[in-house]
Amino acid sequence: QVDRASGDLGKPQNKQRVLLLSSRGITYRYRHLLNDLHALLPHSKKESKFEQKTELYALNEVAELANCNNAIFLECRRHTDLYLWMAKTPNGPSVKFFVQNVHTMDELRLTGNCLKGSRPIVSFDKNFDSAPHLSLLKEMFTQIFATPRTSRKIKPFVDHVLNFSVVDNKIWFRNYQVVEKAPPIAPGQEPISLVEIGPRFVLDIVRIFDGSFCGATLYENPTFVTPAQVSFPRQTPQPGTDKVDHP
Amino acid sequence: TSQRAPRRVPINSTAALTARLASIRLPPTISFIETLALTHPTPLDLAPEAASDDLRRELAFYDQALHAAVKGLEQLRQLGVPTTRPVDYFAEMVKADAHMLKVKQRIAEETTNIKKSE
Repeated sequence: QVDRASGDLGKPQNKQRVLLLSSRGITYRYRHLLNDLHALLPHSKKESKFEQKTELYALNEVAELANCNNAIFLECRRHTDLYLWMAKTPNGPSVKFFVQNVHTMDELRLTGNCLKGSRPIVSFDKNFDSAPHLSLLKEMFTQIFATPRTSRKIKPFVDHVLNFSVVDNKIWFRNYQVVEKAPPIAPGQEPISLVEIGPRFVLDIVRIFDGSFCGATLYENPTFVTPAQVSFPRQTPQPGTDKVDHP
Repeated sequence: TSQRAPRRVPINSTAALTARLASIRLPPTISFIETLALTHPTPLDLAPEAASDDLRRELAFYDQALHAAVKGLEQLRQLGVPTTRPVDYFAEMVKADAHMLKVKQRIAEETTNIKKSE
């Protein structure tokens, strides 16, 4: 459908808007991460903090009021642990991630930079095609992180890459600036180099739900251990101290 | 806790996941310009010791992103979509000038410190 001669790209086929919001009691650092995401997603809408701790499906209504068909929700627990929800509102599916190794753009002091509102190239690792749950996540990431070409706030250049890789069944996020080298370029040399912009984070899948912030579980990560379990492991019963039910 | 048997088998419903993917998927004929999404042809295969080695891991991510950038810009050029911003195009950046100045100052400081110690 793309007419190269006239530059007409045809009817838009990808319309996405993303609601961004966090729970109350979120720490400074995670709030900055949310701001970074907002800066990188021109098709996102930031809403004020969400009060409720339970009944998260009320977020579907918030998304609808903001004209969004996707949502990212940051939930802070115990003042240290960050959970990130991603949902296709209002019908699902949705995913709950535990977020590790968070570094915001501010902290990282990386030299890369890009236009605010330029569309990114979204790069996926082939590992995303290796399992059904990862394929589903790839589609969700595409719809949430790829900026549609019809978004109102975009700038007409493509100068950065959002990179998603799977290592250890976890998803690693990086953001690089694309630097085109000035000619002449030596043969065998790439005409492009990358400079990292930030932020950085790692997403550990907790669960994938059928609905948006609700519904049946489609996938749960067998290796996920909650941070509370890590810091306070449940005592294994000592031999001989077990209660024995006598008949 | 390792001695205890897991409570139950973790859910991983392939059929339901596949059906859910089909229900939300963008049309397969969608053109590149709509999403600018690319998948690297070979999976990132990091050995456990490489995965915990910052340098090797970051290099693997860099290579994957670079491949996407090269392929992506090639396709955009064919479509006639501009990629690099012209020198005279001024617009708000993701990181403000003040922030970039701080970054540069820090790097300059570090290099002078290294020189001093030499």
